[in-house]
Amino acid sequence: MLPVLYAIIVATLFPFALGPEHALLARIAGGVVLVTVLLAMLLALDNVFRGDLDDGALEQMLLSPQPLSVLLAARMLAYWLVTALPLLLVAPILAYMLGLQPAVQPVLLLALLLATPLLALLGIVLTALTAGTRRSGMLLSLMLLPLAVPIVIFAAGAVGAAQQGLPWIAPLAWLAAALALALVLAPLACATALRIALDT
Amino acid sequence: MSPPPATSSPPLMIEARALGFTRRDEDVFGPLDFALRGGEIGLIEGDNGSGKTTLLRVLAGLLRPGTGTVQVLGAQPGSEEARASTIIMGHLLGLKADLSALENLRIGMGLYGRAADANPDAILARVGLDGYANEAVRDLSAGQKKRVALARLALLPARLWLLDEPYANLDRHGIALVNDLLAQHAAAGGAALVTSHGAVNFHQGVTCTVRLAA
Amino acid sequence: MNAFKLWYHKLGSPPYFYVFAGYIQPWLWTIAIVLALLGLYGGLVLAPPDALQGDAFRIIFVHVPAAWMSLFVYGVMAVSAFIAVIWRPKMAEVLAMESAPIGAAFTLIALITGSLWGKPMWGTYWTWDARLTSELVLFFIYLGIIGLYHAFDDPRQGARAASFLAMIGAVNLPIVHYSVVWWNTLHQGTTVRYFGPSSIAPSMLWPLLLMTIAAKFYYGASLMGRSRVALLDRERGKDWVADEVRGGDVHG
Repeated sequence: MLPVLYAIIVATLFPFALGPEHALLARIAGGVVLVTVLLAMLLALDNVFRGDLDDGALEQMLLSPQPLSVLLAARMLAYWLVTALPLLLVAPILAYMLGLQPAVQPVLLLALLLATPLLALLGIVLTALTAGTRRSGMLLSLMLLPLAVPIVIFAAGAVGAAQQGLPWIAPLAWLAAALALALVLAPLACATALRIALDT
Repeated sequence: MSPPPATSSPPLMIEARALGFTRRDEDVFGPLDFALRGGEIGLIEGDNGSGKTTLLRVLAGLLRPGTGTVQVLGAQPGSEEARASTIIMGHLLGLKADLSALENLRIGMGLYGRAADANPDAILARVGLDGYANEAVRDLSAGQKKRVALARLALLPARLWLLDEPYANLDRHGIALVNDLLAQHAAAGGAALVTSHGAVNFHQGVTCTVRLAA
Repeated sequence: MNAFKLWYHKLGSPPYFYVFAGYIQPWLWTIAIVLALLGLYGGLVLAPPDALQGDAFRIIFVHVPAAWMSLFVYGVMAVSAFIAVIWRPKMAEVLAMESAPIGAAFTLIALITGSLWGKPMWGTYWTWDARLTSELVLFFIYLGIIGLYHAFDDPRQGARAASFLAMIGAVNLPIVHYSVVWWNTLHQGTTVRYFGPSSIAPSMLWPLLLMTIAAKFYYGASLMGRSRVALLDRERGKDWVADEVRGGDVHG
């Protein structure tokens, strides 16, 4: 629940920083919620392998006869369910508090529904790469930023287009295509990354 | 070192030829030659820092061998065939602290499968954890945690055990239990490689000793 | 073919590469410096001021080669990284990891000169122009690779992990570029076009080409130097390094 709390705190700070002017907040609401959710997900990313690494469970996973990529796919799903799903539940509330038009809410939710699994998949691949290092929080943000840029652009682009009453399907379709690709490739890449980082 | 060739010798579990490992261009352990067959218990002796744990990790496939060759059940360590029949118990037991002893055993079975006639409850009773099945591992003592790991060992179908300091944290009964499990495993045709630094409590049935120089 | 293969394998061995790099490094330096001096003379003295931009445009003789090199070095690094991950030769790891800081430096130069150029052109040092933004993301990719490399205790392990990241970055880079271009056209208000359909005059072109080639030779020279130092550090336990160090010592 920590990421949810974090997202609420960050989103709450924006009106204090920018002033309570409704028009301004409404215009940036979609982007603020997207970035907030991304940062909150990043917060939990560093811990994805930490526990398993510390108690040796990761070794048992690596050495079991099951395909590692399938085990990691399960780990990615678990991360999304535990971290992203609660964020998806509070995101509409945060967007509403910031004054996003109700008509745009479904687009924001759809954008988050596509962007959060994509971030989870890519983020865990990068986390696996840092598994052999001691502290990696800051490094992980640096590594994730270039991958997050297109995701944020397309997700926020769809929300922005919907706010202006323009067609918003195209950027979401790109996100969906990227997600379909990542669903297949990310677990394999993650298995490779983990074996590199743990030197096996 | 190796036993005299029998008429029908059991299958080779480990075969190492001039096996060595270097970390950052420094030798961790020198070229080693040894073989371990089914039904044999091997002992790895050496002082602290002589590379016992590293050797076990190489055999498990967690580290790549530096020089020489090694085969585990006729395959590369870490390959799918080798992984299916190898299990390693290290300093880190790989138990999830939040889950109960029984749940941890279930994870092991999910990953590795289960030995033919093994039953988790019966095995927990055998390692002396009767009544602790639903206790969170977090609340168990260090020795009891070790016993959960031993129960997992007996429960899974792996034919080759790689045990790193299995006697650590155990009382007299626990040590007898380890020896008991090893004897039973060997009798069933399995093999085990056990590390210890010097003073060991293991007497019966050691058929192969690998000595590592510090 | 056989001779080439032999040469390739020899070059893959650190002591041989060390000697080879030491041999060609002065030549690369010489060519880079001569070409850069010629190019700068042509660009700063011979080329006439631009009709629209006056003398401000002269920064392209640094900016454009640096921007090109930021991608060129990434390409070289990505290929070495790919080889390092798949076949694990030591030299590919060294070349990939020693390319990264050079590429990051070129990217930083491109960013700084780009924003300096932006002041007379756009009236501001920074604008979220598609090219500048892509270059900024490229800089972050480089930093991530360098950071990951140094986060590991074992340089070989770090090099492999960072190489894998470089491969991910190579896939990501075009995606970033096209998404940034799309994003930029979406928010038309902030877009500034700084290249008209004008063609470049020959008096500007040849100094620019010379500078570009000079930058490539500088990269080669710098890479050789960095790789030599990295090899000495990584192989410090080996006999050839001990011989090398003792051989260079006057008191022997």
